[in-house]
Amino acid sequence: MAHKKNRNVAIIGVGQTKHSSHREDVNQPELIHEAVSAALKDANISIKDVDCIVHGNMELFEMIHQPDLWHVLGTGAYGKDSIRITTGGTVGTTLACASDNLVASGMYDIVMAIGFQKLQEGHTTGGITNMADPLWFRNLQTGALTGSTAYDVIQEFGEERAKRAAMMYRIIMDKHACLNPNAHRAFGLDFDQVETLMNTSPKLVGELRLIHMCSQSDGACAVIFASEKKAKELSKKPVWIRDHITIHREETFNIFGYHKNYPVLKTHKFAAEQLFKRNDITNPLEYFDVFEMYDPAAWWGLDWLRDFFFLKGDEHLRLVENKEIMIDGSMPINPSGGVIATNPIGATALLRVAEAALQVRGDAGAHQIPKEVKHALASGFGGTMWTVLMMLEKELNW
Amino acid sequence: MQKRVAICAVAQIKNDPNLWYARFQNMLLECFEGIMSQTNVTFDMEKGIRTVITCSDDVWDARTISNNGMTDVVGAHFRGEEKMAQESLNGLGYAMASILSGHDDVVLFMGHMKESQPESRNMCTNLAFDPFYCRPLGMDFVNVNAMQARAYMEKAKITEEHLAKVVVRARKNASKNPFARENDPVSEEDVMKSPLLADPLRQLHYYPSTDWAFGMLLCSEERAKEFTDKPVWITGYASCMDSYFLGDKDLTSNFSLKNATERALKKAGIKDIKKDIQLFELCDHAAYQLPMWAEGIGLVNDGYGGRWVDDGGMDEFNVNVSGGMLNGNPLLLGGAARAIECFYQLRGEAGERQVKGAKRALAQSTYGAAGQHQAVVIFEV
Amino acid sequence: MEYWGVKVSDIFDTMNDRFRPEGAKGVTAKFGYDITGEGKWKIIVSEGLLEVIKTDDISDCVAVMVCDGETFVGINIGKVDAANAFTSGKVKIEGDFGQFGKTAKMFKKYVPKKAAMSTRDYILDMFGTLVSRFQPQNAPQEAVIVYDIGGADGGVWTAYIKDGKCELKEERAEKFTVKLEVQDAKDWVDVMLGKVDAFSLLSAGKAAIVGETQLALKLGEIFKKYQDPMASGTPEQELIVLKKIISVDQKFSTGPVMGKFLNALKEKKILGNKCPKCGRIQLPAREVCAVCRVRVDEWVEVGPKGQVRYMEYVYYASPDPLTGETRETPYGMANILLDGCQGNDTFAHLIRRDQIDRIKGGKDDVSGTRVRPVWNEHRTGSIFDIKYFEIDE
Repeated sequence: MAHKKNRNVAIIGVGQTKHSSHREDVNQPELIHEAVSAALKDANISIKDVDCIVHGNMELFEMIHQPDLWHVLGTGAYGKDSIRITTGGTVGTTLACASDNLVASGMYDIVMAIGFQKLQEGHTTGGITNMADPLWFRNLQTGALTGSTAYDVIQEFGEERAKRAAMMYRIIMDKHACLNPNAHRAFGLDFDQVETLMNTSPKLVGELRLIHMCSQSDGACAVIFASEKKAKELSKKPVWIRDHITIHREETFNIFGYHKNYPVLKTHKFAAEQLFKRNDITNPLEYFDVFEMYDPAAWWGLDWLRDFFFLKGDEHLRLVENKEIMIDGSMPINPSGGVIATNPIGATALLRVAEAALQVRGDAGAHQIPKEVKHALASGFGGTMWTVLMMLEKELNW
Repeated sequence: MQKRVAICAVAQIKNDPNLWYARFQNMLLECFEGIMSQTNVTFDMEKGIRTVITCSDDVWDARTISNNGMTDVVGAHFRGEEKMAQESLNGLGYAMASILSGHDDVVLFMGHMKESQPESRNMCTNLAFDPFYCRPLGMDFVNVNAMQARAYMEKAKITEEHLAKVVVRARKNASKNPFARENDPVSEEDVMKSPLLADPLRQLHYYPSTDWAFGMLLCSEERAKEFTDKPVWITGYASCMDSYFLGDKDLTSNFSLKNATERALKKAGIKDIKKDIQLFELCDHAAYQLPMWAEGIGLVNDGYGGRWVDDGGMDEFNVNVSGGMLNGNPLLLGGAARAIECFYQLRGEAGERQVKGAKRALAQSTYGAAGQHQAVVIFEV
Repeated sequence: MEYWGVKVSDIFDTMNDRFRPEGAKGVTAKFGYDITGEGKWKIIVSEGLLEVIKTDDISDCVAVMVCDGETFVGINIGKVDAANAFTSGKVKIEGDFGQFGKTAKMFKKYVPKKAAMSTRDYILDMFGTLVSRFQPQNAPQEAVIVYDIGGADGGVWTAYIKDGKCELKEERAEKFTVKLEVQDAKDWVDVMLGKVDAFSLLSAGKAAIVGETQLALKLGEIFKKYQDPMASGTPEQELIVLKKIISVDQKFSTGPVMGKFLNALKEKKILGNKCPKCGRIQLPAREVCAVCRVRVDEWVEVGPKGQVRYMEYVYYASPDPLTGETRETPYGMANILLDGCQGNDTFAHLIRRDQIDRIKGGKDDVSGTRVRPVWNEHRTGSIFDIKYFEIDE
């Protein structure tokens, strides 16, 4: 059973740019055009076939107001329906959810979602800090940098094991990034560096170190969604969207009481519970073949495995320690290298959906996981711990 | 023709030149409470609101992720929330899609904007241009609209007198609208003597800076009776994007509006707008845009805007009986204000300005310079 | 050692020429460079003047950059991404990281000197790389192609293609499939570098095709495009990056709720508002309780003392977007449970900088470090009416 839907929707094409901190060779519409052209080519359709463009990013990173107006030079929106929907870091997944809604509604047959960000054209941490209330928290916050998850994991599992597991997670992501030619950062780290890196990488906040944190990238991603009828006509390997969910939370961080009588409700876990319940999935770790997770830092990636997969005790640490999250493990996480490797924020979450779709198709190239992918999960993260989840399927079997 | 969705309730605060004593959370909360008390809708994960759609803008709020500070006052804590980061009328279109998709059956749609917050509106809209060419030239929505005004006035034989007539009528209509911005009544002479902003646009030709917030509850056809006895149906929505550089387009062609209207009407199954639609609400940021958009939606033949104003077309076809954008709504929310007027009119709740027997209405909105992006929504009862 | 044709010493030797006094405004400091296996350098910056010394004594420097020669040269000539090198630990900054950052603005970019290639050099390089550029999937089964390049720099070559292989000989084959005749070697170089198109040479009579014209037109597919070794990956045109500071003044309203909270700070009081349904106390006060979706009207005075439940120990100097000023690091941003509050109703604020190493977070019923607010003498109704919290001892 899947969540009710007016009609089914599939992804029929994905495209992305090479991501880098140095894309001075193109301006914003040109960067977008690279992703759009790639997606159209991948879907083997022309821009004429697209009914509606959905555009998203965050304005203050590049200081362009309603950038879809200028970006029309690269998006192909000329003469078409064109809307702009954003959330936060989650925006890429929001674009995917919105495109799914627009096609499922029957209002459009083919919709293209475009996520974009050119982070080198502004100050990223300053831009994120600008999201805080100007009257109070903006003076205190440091972008999305926080050491609190490191603190939590260390409190629970001890310093040595926690730091080691977080660095293992980091190195696994780098090993994946080395397989992905579009990844921004691929250092070639190896497991024998765990000890050195966990003690020498410069500290940002608490035990969150530079090596743990995601990159600041320039890049764009485009994904094409089509109705069931169109998808079957046009695509040999449509990837079906089963369901999606968005969960936000309030602006204030009332989550630091650290008292067992006052448990904190977590958005990732709540979203996963709601989504899996209505799709009759009781054991997500067993059900999904791959998970493209929005992991902005190694500590978060490590910790969130527990929330998304309803794990108990130290199961999430063991998944990492035993390298089960590696591309050839039992639950591959981010074979693309994930967000730590590549992070053009407005495109980042859409890249999760695009990469998950490539895995389902078997078209991920060097970072294709070595077993059949029938069920894939993609997540977005942003705002004040907001969550978006999207489920992709190889078979249309509901 | 496709399925339709219901607007069950609307709530708004009064349009105001400067709500210095309220932050946007206060403005939204009033609207939120208005919707809750009218409908008794809940946030139950099965039967209630799972998704809130908001409308606001990062540049205007000087805030990355401007929807971040509103989660609590729109009820979206541990629910979904998505921001229409574009003109608000598109939010209605997207709410329609969310409901027709089957993913949601009840959607709350809320928006806010405070034009009084930044020191200059033109500095904000200047940022909508590319940083290399148009921005350094000083382009903003006012002076680019002035170029369009010049070209259109020439084409449609619009005079200063026509524009004055449009402005005076807008203020008169708005005086019957309790939620409209309170402006001094003006004479045609006042309009023609008001200072030039960018030739030929005068100060009174342009909508004044405004703060406002609104809320609407939408739901599927099947569930409408749970929330209202008098649903207003949305039967069609479409938008269209024109090209960016001014040199790439004929500023008087109404390219994007014609396309958007054609597509929206087709979805709503309407063939003859003059016969089938009895009320029109247009986003006239400036006075010249009222006849121009009327041409764009097909109410007036191309180039006949001047004569249409002379012949009393505005009153004959019930165009902007609310006072329109020209009387004052915030830039991003003009479309929502138009939609709300259509809602009241079609429900027969428009008081002094009620249009008798209106069964269908059309709302139009635009964003970008010289109407680059256009959206149209069709309503009916 | 040379890296990409550049020595580490080249970078230092040109520093004086590349120095930008305007970028060193207000900087008086010594910076050290410890380049593994290459030596140590020290630069002294003072009042817009620069001195570069090769010395082993860099102990008096405010910050020292440690890396290997390849990384150092790579960063300076744009072959290595500085941020990546730093993140991955290939570059370390010992000492004051913030100070060292100032060196970034002090120097113009290092541009490696290039020896120009002559037309003859190009001709030799083009034919020297021809076989390696051969793409058998695009080539005919069998063909003989003669290149007859005129002028003093020219010569005659013949490419023999057979069964997916290509062989080049400096000779004139009498039996050929196609022959290219170019009068001037320089024209041929320009064609290969993409400066002139072959058709204009043909139509100007400066070149001719003898034999199968169709095959000549396919040469661009049979052989990969010749890459100019002098271009070495640098773009063909200078890329311009426009730098602008964008600022639009704002008036942020407080509204009645946040206004009451901020006004109370003037009176040295911390007011929270309490949800009528769940009882949580919100700091700062909010218009509604997000959990219960109800308006919150009841006010309670809490604190001003409390205990730290968690503190962010911040090393990264982020600019304050409201002022543009970079904060001094490290600093501590704490979540403080003020007396009268419970559970997760904490209040975020700064900790006195010299005390951050002594702060401990609480857990369950164990209290964290007790703290009290230090009030500003001049209070304006801002969050910084409290300067910071300090240990209550």
